[in-house]
Amino acid sequence: MELTGYGIRADLPSGWEGTIALDRDPDSIELVGIGASLQPVAHLASFALPSDRGDFGSGAVDVMSRDDVFVALVEFAPEEAGAALFAQEGLPRRLDPRAFSERSLQRGLPGQAGLQVFFHEAGRAFCLYVVLGDADDAHRLVRDVEQVLATLTIEARR
Amino acid sequence: MSVVVAVLVVVVVLLSVLVAGLLRSHGAILRRLDELGTGLEVDPGAPIGSRVVPRTDGSVPSPPSDVPDGRPAVDLAGHGPRGESVVVRVVEVPHDTLLVFLSTGCGTCAGFWDEIAATREQVPDHTRVVVVTRGSEEESPSAVAELAPTDVPVLMSSAAFEQLQVPGSPYVVQVDGPSGRVVGEGTAGSFAQVIALFLRSDGDARHAAGGKARADERRERHLDRILLEAGIGPGHPSLYGPDSEAGDAAGDGPTDGLGEGPDDSPADGGVSAPSDRGTDAEVGR
Repeated sequence: MELTGYGIRADLPSGWEGTIALDRDPDSIELVGIGASLQPVAHLASFALPSDRGDFGSGAVDVMSRDDVFVALVEFAPEEAGAALFAQEGLPRRLDPRAFSERSLQRGLPGQAGLQVFFHEAGRAFCLYVVLGDADDAHRLVRDVEQVLATLTIEARR
Repeated sequence: MSVVVAVLVVVVVLLSVLVAGLLRSHGAILRRLDELGTGLEVDPGAPIGSRVVPRTDGSVPSPPSDVPDGRPAVDLAGHGPRGESVVVRVVEVPHDTLLVFLSTGCGTCAGFWDEIAATREQVPDHTRVVVVTRGSEEESPSAVAELAPTDVPVLMSSAAFEQLQVPGSPYVVQVDGPSGRVVGEGTAGSFAQVIALFLRSDGDARHAAGGKARADERRERHLDRILLEAGIGPGHPSLYGPDSEAGDAAGDGPTDGLGEGPDDSPADGGVSAPSDRGTDAEVGR
């Protein structure tokens, strides 16, 4: 099923659901008052996403099972696209299961493993954040994530 | 001339033998393939390696017996009240989904909006509540955002109303997640009534499926506790008749510990089950 919004498009496989919304973080909303703009955040998951969750999945990763995966695509201000942090070009379609670590989790939960990749594409700066429900089954779960990443497209913002 | 005829007869006989042999070997190959589960008429959806009898009578595959009797539901896509794009899965998921179709304008719906957040704890754990309104072309997103509970997903999609044939609002559709079938639908004066009906039908369904109603489960736990307090656990001889195989087996083999101890004797006082009901032992499961 297709999920489209804010120049991001994904074709979700069976059992997956997702949202693409503007960043609802209170700090970001506060910055709007001084001229900043809200950036989109895409959440894709192989489980039912709870409504109340943070940009990096807090509130969602707590309820995922060991068989599940969570993917967040968090956009940063476009002027960041040229920064060294976002030097990697293009959304990574293949992920190395060995690169996942418990230390990469925004919210450390037993058994889970995470990975953060910063990149730029179409003049936009992003962080791809992936959480696996079971660090010991990383190879299988990463394949599930890659299946979704293969369908993700990012267009330039107008 | 006769020589030619004789030669032709011999050729015809040889060819007939050859064709018969080919047909026989072809039949043997087909039988062997069929035994391996890869026959020409095998149902392509059948598990690999399973023994499938080819359908030769023109019949069609019948659905699995464990699929609830209901029309198929669909996954839903639309927007949230804050403009977000949303895809909600209700088909082929481990949990059930209670889709609550509401509008911002109808009087009865007003109570639903207020009650959904307040009564969510009464919804069974394996059920997810999702509010669905018509799309932004018919509903005001800001009005929906104002009414929407913070911890319940809200989807704005007129297509969802059409796809699930929703006659109006308020209306509730219950979808069985694993099968993706609609197993209940209707409307009520309040969300609390919906939950009450839903819980009752859930209990009925579990009862019909061989499960136990809540009252039966409570009664069973109570009886189990009494028996365990009396030192009677699974396999206790007093639960079986003198000629029962189960009782013999339990007496001969090691116990699981529940029946061990000083009271583990049929001669002991306490509670004992009548021998004619001994095979219905439910203790300590």
